[in-house]
Amino acid sequence: MSAAALAAALRIEGLRLRRSPVAVLAAVLLTALVPSASVGAVALARSPHAAAPTAAKLAPYAAGDLAATHLTVCAQVLGVAALVAGGFVVASVFGRELETGTAGALFALATPRAAIALARCVVVVLWLAACVVLTVLLTVAVSAVVATGGGSGASGAWREAGRAVVSGLLGVGLALPFGAVATVTRSRLATVGALLGVVALTQVVVLLGGGAWFPYAAPSLWAGLGGPAAAAAVGVPHLLLSATVGPAAVVVVVAAWHRLTDV
Amino acid sequence: MTAPALVLDGVTHAFGDRVALDGFTLTVAPGQVTALVGLNGAGKTTALRALTGRLRPGGGTVRVLGHEPSRLPPAVAARFGHVVGAPLVQPELTVVENLWCAALLHGLRRRRAAEAAHDTAERLGLAPWCDARARALSAGNHQRLGIACATLHRPAALVLDEPTSALDPQGVVVVRGLVRDLAAEGTAVLVSSHHLDEVARVAGEVVVLHAGRDVGRLEPGGDGTTDGTTGGTSIEQRFFAMVLEADTSSGTGDRPGTRTGGPA
Repeated sequence: MSAAALAAALRIEGLRLRRSPVAVLAAVLLTALVPSASVGAVALARSPHAAAPTAAKLAPYAAGDLAATHLTVCAQVLGVAALVAGGFVVASVFGRELETGTAGALFALATPRAAIALARCVVVVLWLAACVVLTVLLTVAVSAVVATGGGSGASGAWREAGRAVVSGLLGVGLALPFGAVATVTRSRLATVGALLGVVALTQVVVLLGGGAWFPYAAPSLWAGLGGPAAAAAVGVPHLLLSATVGPAAVVVVVAAWHRLTDV
Repeated sequence: MTAPALVLDGVTHAFGDRVALDGFTLTVAPGQVTALVGLNGAGKTTALRALTGRLRPGGGTVRVLGHEPSRLPPAVAARFGHVVGAPLVQPELTVVENLWCAALLHGLRRRRAAEAAHDTAERLGLAPWCDARARALSAGNHQRLGIACATLHRPAALVLDEPTSALDPQGVVVVRGLVRDLAAEGTAVLVSSHHLDEVARVAGEVVVLHAGRDVGRLEPGGDGTTDGTTGGTSIEQRFFAMVLEADTSSGTGDRPGTRTGGPA
């Protein structure tokens, strides 16, 4: 695959992603819902009017530095939200043409299918990574407005912001294997089904206590979704294992598109 | 003698128990327009998919510009164009963006791609819809755009599956002119179509494919006319006679799914 072919594929796929309703919707939902949910959950946890079951559920957010808690919630939500949003985008990017038969037009071109598949992975990762960073910045901004006058442990808040970015980026990488699922199944619906299945499986694995070494569970556990003890059990090796899923998926997807036949 | 640009040599392929191609052989030389005609299920699209590398046949040899189509070197692929089934058109992009993307995919440089996109939009009558999203186009203009995307790099070999199926008479004339122009430049063109009169106007050779086999050639406008009439027999009548004879000689005429019949 030549650099010129990859550059051409990147230009095309960049344009296509900007025009993709699924990618735009994913960006809007991530950047709007996650900051709102982060600040809203903490507000609810600290409200004297919260119903008892809600207050019990949100008890971990009821105390502590306000800004840091906003960003802790952001980190916990963003890991899963980036995975789900990314899964939908990847299902659309790799599944639609195979489902409609348009992928047949990508054969016997000067720009090889492997270059097109690699370019798709790159633009999807860049798009979602930008969404993750923007989401965290928006949460910081909204938190700063809400926390005005309430005091803030700045260093704690920025540490949690960093954790949110890492958690979101890991979620983006974990979405990439669904490009391989879309390629194999040639169906967007089947890919989304597999995505939901993995999210459900993650819950089961965490319940059974095996989360730290399960790549889809480690980021959220590290962000504190399973409590302080579960978070402490997640170390660098567990996070590195999660981080290798994305690059490995890129290799698999590119190879699958290179070998694609019977389209 | 010039080497053929498109070659199918003894190609066989089956989908399960159903034979789609049965030792089918066809060559198209540079500058030649060959039409492939046949009933639904005759194997036309399977043959074209094999030529575009989308399907690896069970047997036989397939070559595009001297190379195996599923492994075309980029420099060779840059001289090949095809529309088989869904074209290289993205519904969320505008007409001119689709053409620009197709030009880049065919290996044209950025500036040249932009020029080719606008030139091709003009040539195929798509200029009024340049800024329209492809999803908003009529079926005919969508098909025109697909053909434009496959030909804007002026390929040396071109494969078109039913290129005029959704076109209005003006579009048919435009595509016919495009095919003739490309052939005049030396492009080898293989067209699959159900429109027998239309292929008689544009093709120098009409190959009849039936049950995966080459069952003969039809003389396009054999007596010098352009309506496909030879000695008072229309090309349609000759097509059905040829298919019926093939069925009779192979003893498949009464088998469900292979019964053929022409107009009375």
